[in-house]
Amino acid sequence: MKILDIALKDMLQSFRSVFAVMLMFVEPIMITGLIYFAFGGLGGGGSDGLDLPMTRVVVANQDQADATSGISAGNEVTKILQSEELADFLEVTMAEDEAAARAAIDDRKADVAVIIPAEFSKAMTVSGARATITLYHDPTLTLGPGIVKAVIDGIMDGFSGYKITADITEKQLARQGQTMGPDTLRALAISYTQWAQNQNTTEGASADPTISLRGPSGSRTPDDSPLAGILGPVMAGMLIFFVFFGGAYTAQSIVKEDEIGTLARLSTTPTPSATILGGKLVSVFLMVLVQSIVLLISSALIFKIQWGEPAGVIAMTLSMLVAAAGFGILVASFIRNTRQGGVMLGGVMTLCGMVGGLFTAGFNTPSGTFDIISRFVPHGWALDGWKLAMSRASISEVLVPAAVLLGMGVLFFVIGTMLFRKRFA
Amino acid sequence: MNNGKAIEVQDLHRHFGDIKAVQGVSFDVRQGEIFSLLGPNGAGKSTTISMLSCLLQPNAGDALVMGHSITRRPMEVKKAIGVVPQEIALYPDLTARENLAFWGKMYGLRGKTLGRRIDQVLEIIGLVEQQKRPAGKFSGGMKRRLNIGIALLHKPQVIIMDEPTVGIDPQSRRHILDNVKELNRQGMTVLYTTHYMEEAAELSDHIAIMDQGQIVASGTHDELVKIVGKQDRVELTINTESERVLPAWQAIDGVHKATATDSIITLLVDESDRVLPRLFEAAIEAKVHITSVTIQEPNLEAVFLHLTGRALRDG
Repeated sequence: MKILDIALKDMLQSFRSVFAVMLMFVEPIMITGLIYFAFGGLGGGGSDGLDLPMTRVVVANQDQADATSGISAGNEVTKILQSEELADFLEVTMAEDEAAARAAIDDRKADVAVIIPAEFSKAMTVSGARATITLYHDPTLTLGPGIVKAVIDGIMDGFSGYKITADITEKQLARQGQTMGPDTLRALAISYTQWAQNQNTTEGASADPTISLRGPSGSRTPDDSPLAGILGPVMAGMLIFFVFFGGAYTAQSIVKEDEIGTLARLSTTPTPSATILGGKLVSVFLMVLVQSIVLLISSALIFKIQWGEPAGVIAMTLSMLVAAAGFGILVASFIRNTRQGGVMLGGVMTLCGMVGGLFTAGFNTPSGTFDIISRFVPHGWALDGWKLAMSRASISEVLVPAAVLLGMGVLFFVIGTMLFRKRFA
Repeated sequence: MNNGKAIEVQDLHRHFGDIKAVQGVSFDVRQGEIFSLLGPNGAGKSTTISMLSCLLQPNAGDALVMGHSITRRPMEVKKAIGVVPQEIALYPDLTARENLAFWGKMYGLRGKTLGRRIDQVLEIIGLVEQQKRPAGKFSGGMKRRLNIGIALLHKPQVIIMDEPTVGIDPQSRRHILDNVKELNRQGMTVLYTTHYMEEAAELSDHIAIMDQGQIVASGTHDELVKIVGKQDRVELTINTESERVLPAWQAIDGVHKATATDSIITLLVDESDRVLPRLFEAAIEAKVHITSVTIQEPNLEAVFLHLTGRALRDG
């Protein structure tokens, strides 16, 4: 009972602090709101209120249709880019070759060049063959290239699905002593093309059970507005950053109590030291729980952000809570006084946020090494998890980052608690 | 159960590295009395109090509070005591009532009992009207009163007060001293530390004088004053450094102890009316001008000076 008394007292104090309320509840919504308004939210322009500038795309399709199967993957990519659904965002023109496409970008006549290689269709039909679509764009632009990349990623996911299907079909036929002839390949290609068109024009992503296509993380889903699709990862980044900040800020109350003498006074009451520390830890957990729920619900209501299926959202919320509380306690255990705490919290949280990719979530970001580095901090795992949850990935996929977060949180919690116990023994 | 003793301190020792803060302190506090630990800053009073409050473990020795050992039964000790720390330990964002409610819960009070007790304590400390104001907005004196109120919530048998009047206005100080007397009248045992000898003299049934981690004298006010006999305490302010006249004054027959702080010289003398003219003569010879003279009859300040060779304020 005393644990709860201590926790509720801490929460009451936090809610009375204008700084804490601003930090934990107002700022994440405000920052996302700024981006929302910057993209024309509530402005009524474009579909679903989205008022994005038109992105000029130049396509250099060097692909040769595969003579055997008749597949022309390059044409399919071009058709999707030129489709009506994307006409509000993309203005597509064709270039004769790669050099012309690059020249269009260099001369600022286009924003993004999509260069489809000559062997693209062949790579679709030959086992083990690879092909790369190159995006060339003005480095100062982020949003337009981001949209084009998201579209191309979606198409490529679909192609990968087709190729996997073709490979499996070929192996199964080989097991039966048969070979996959051009007719079979063509049939598969037609089936794929129908599916791809269906994917592009209807909500039939799940209509074809043989090919499961999932868009890139955090991408637009059939129920989302385009603006919500962009704001989702942005809000996820803000949610993670400020929930971790909130956890550390609340954990810092142990240091503050030590400074103002109330921690020592608590030790003169018939309250075991484990209860005092326990109360502090519960307050951290409860604060980030309240913070998360408020931010998730308010962002869903204000910005129409769809956080994903309930199971994924719950898994991510709980694991993020444990990670944020554990991380906060660990960071606070190194803080000697509140004056040092302000600088240290700001520094550590900002650095972790940057490494975890929280400030660039939703925009065109470098991948590869950066993705690996982001895994060194819980923030990176949390962002991954939320992106998966928002893209309606299966619960088993969401559980991977959730489990890592949970493990990290417990580890941080144990180390932080040990350090605090040692310090205030 | 414990021979009428609320606190029995037995050869307590505590050191911090090489610093021996408390060195073999022993004393008894009878139930229902006000016992003062008097000494300058750094004498070891707060360290002794911290050990009796179970905040610090002694390196050696033990103490019984209402029959419970501070080393073996700290939880029982904590239930029996109320501690008023030297520093104001309150939550500034919470109102006076919320502060009392929280601390009451920490002492195990709940529900209507807690509510009633909060009302009574607010009455005692005179903050009924201000109970809904955040403690952070209180004056220093009001904070001190609330600081004391917290320790009274669970009606402790023993209240330990560590310099509760430091840094407050005379009116609040008067209020606190009156509160202490009233609590004692109601049967509460009070262990009080201070470096103000007037407070110790006014409040205490029993006084222990501490210096450099040890108790140098203990007894009632009258018993302690008798240590210095009939010596008067003479305080002279001069217009130059004390070194110019101090040796001459120390050599005068009837001057026992002499201590100097800047241009203020404090002397213990046998008969001030006989010694004073000689002090003036010596000053004239040394070409030193005396700007003020204060003569006090024997008091605790004189006792401390007599026992340690230093004034209480030198601490």
